[in-house]
Amino acid sequence: MSARRRIAAALLAGAAAFDSAAQSCDGPGKRVESDRYVVAYRTLPAKIAVGEHFAVEAVVCAKGASPAVEGLRIDAQMPEHRHGMNYRATVTARGAGRYVAEGLLFHMPGHWQVLFDVEARGRTERLTTDLVLE
Amino acid sequence: MTAARVAAGAAAALSIAATPAFAAEPVSFTPAETALILRHGPWPQPVLRDPSNRVSGSAAAIALGQRLFFDARLSANGAVACASCHVPASAWTDGRKQAVGLVPLDRNAPSILNAGLLRWFSWDGGADSLWAQALRALLDPREMGATAALAAGVLRSDAALRCGYWAVFGGGAAGDERMLVDAAKAIAAFVETRTSGRTPFDVFRDALASGDREAAARYPVAAQRGLKLFVGKGNCGVCHFGAGFTNGEFHDVGVPFMVAPGRVDPGRHGGIKRLAADPYNLLGAHSDDPSRASATKTRHVELQHANFGQFKTPSLRNVALTAPYMHDGRLATLRDVVRHYSELDLERLHTHGEQLLRPLKLSARETDDLVAFLESLTAPDATAAPGAPGPVAGCGP
Repeated sequence: MSARRRIAAALLAGAAAFDSAAQSCDGPGKRVESDRYVVAYRTLPAKIAVGEHFAVEAVVCAKGASPAVEGLRIDAQMPEHRHGMNYRATVTARGAGRYVAEGLLFHMPGHWQVLFDVEARGRTERLTTDLVLE
Repeated sequence: MTAARVAAGAAAALSIAATPAFAAEPVSFTPAETALILRHGPWPQPVLRDPSNRVSGSAAAIALGQRLFFDARLSANGAVACASCHVPASAWTDGRKQAVGLVPLDRNAPSILNAGLLRWFSWDGGADSLWAQALRALLDPREMGATAALAAGVLRSDAALRCGYWAVFGGGAAGDERMLVDAAKAIAAFVETRTSGRTPFDVFRDALASGDREAAARYPVAAQRGLKLFVGKGNCGVCHFGAGFTNGEFHDVGVPFMVAPGRVDPGRHGGIKRLAADPYNLLGAHSDDPSRASATKTRHVELQHANFGQFKTPSLRNVALTAPYMHDGRLATLRDVVRHYSELDLERLHTHGEQLLRPLKLSARETDDLVAFLESLTAPDATAAPGAPGPVAGCGP
């Protein structure tokens, strides 16, 4: 099975779990949060490999009285190298705060920052998380 | 290689004593260095069937493709074949600074060895499959200058090729363009089989993984020191990543991209633009992958200003056999390449370039050691001529 098909199968299998997670952002995977938003996410496949495309499944929740989330963009960069990915992720809204980004690829080992740009009421708030790819 | 084996191999620093033939101070590798070394293998890697090419892996297509690869009738002047620039005895390159097709070209001819493992093709990645790359060379008016009519004419007029074509692609009245694309897919099927075997480095790497000190000690000490530099001070494995010693992507390494006064080679920037306009890319009608899953890279690749002057990271396997070096062949020897990185001129890096490269400031011995390591990436079979193409059932010998 190709990597893309494996990702598609995993997306289908995980959709139900993420549906319930969307209510609270307490679902499986990792969390990154600011004062106003929480992003719960996981990568598909779970283990990212250098030079292999992967997807990100994310749920975005507004905290307290923060404006409702209207959109999400996902990107990544290597801050020490001063470059990003060579590929632009396509983010699809799945409703209930769920998003799926496809087409990401890390082309180098090392320190990467995943960037979640949460869009709400005409403003964008960036949440970042770090990972080291070996 | 399982994760457990990697972990076991990396569990302790290894000090590899040299055999008397390579008497010198032993080289020790820390667990971190060992882990970095192990990710350059195992070798060989399997070349997977290309889903965009329905004859990928077909013995009959490989045989037909081999005949076409060496057939100069596919060029406008009848004198240029794929093999003109990809010469088996020269590790499937041509030894020239810059390749010569119908006219002199701007870039060095890359080896096709292990090309089936790559993501993008050509120095600029302007093709996203081996068959699209074959079409690019066939159709480029400066390379082979073929047309669909010319290629189809050769396939129809030569009895052996005609029989081979029918055996591989079936009968029916295929049009010229269909026959041209099919010819490129057969050539790609042949190119996929051009892989190089194990090298002294691979033997050392596997010995390191298994803790076989006796086998590891047979690897020249100078190459061991060079390897230590490669994964350490040089940080070369960030781009020359993995078993193929390439991350398959594109970088500006400070090589000038001025071709002639007033004319530049845009590198990856031009490659992505070419790819987007290519009717033979993986998103197009000629791909045999109905799901288009193999086109993920093509769908998502992004044109960026920083792509200007970037060129593909070449594999280092068999690099000692593929001089001269860099995208335009400007560096004659491996020593020149190492010196380039040792004395890197940061002023030549693109203003939007990566902050990864720094002059390595290598000593003379360090330069020798890195060259010794690079020479250890040579496979004995890299210059072997292919056997005669296999017979195609019903087409005679």
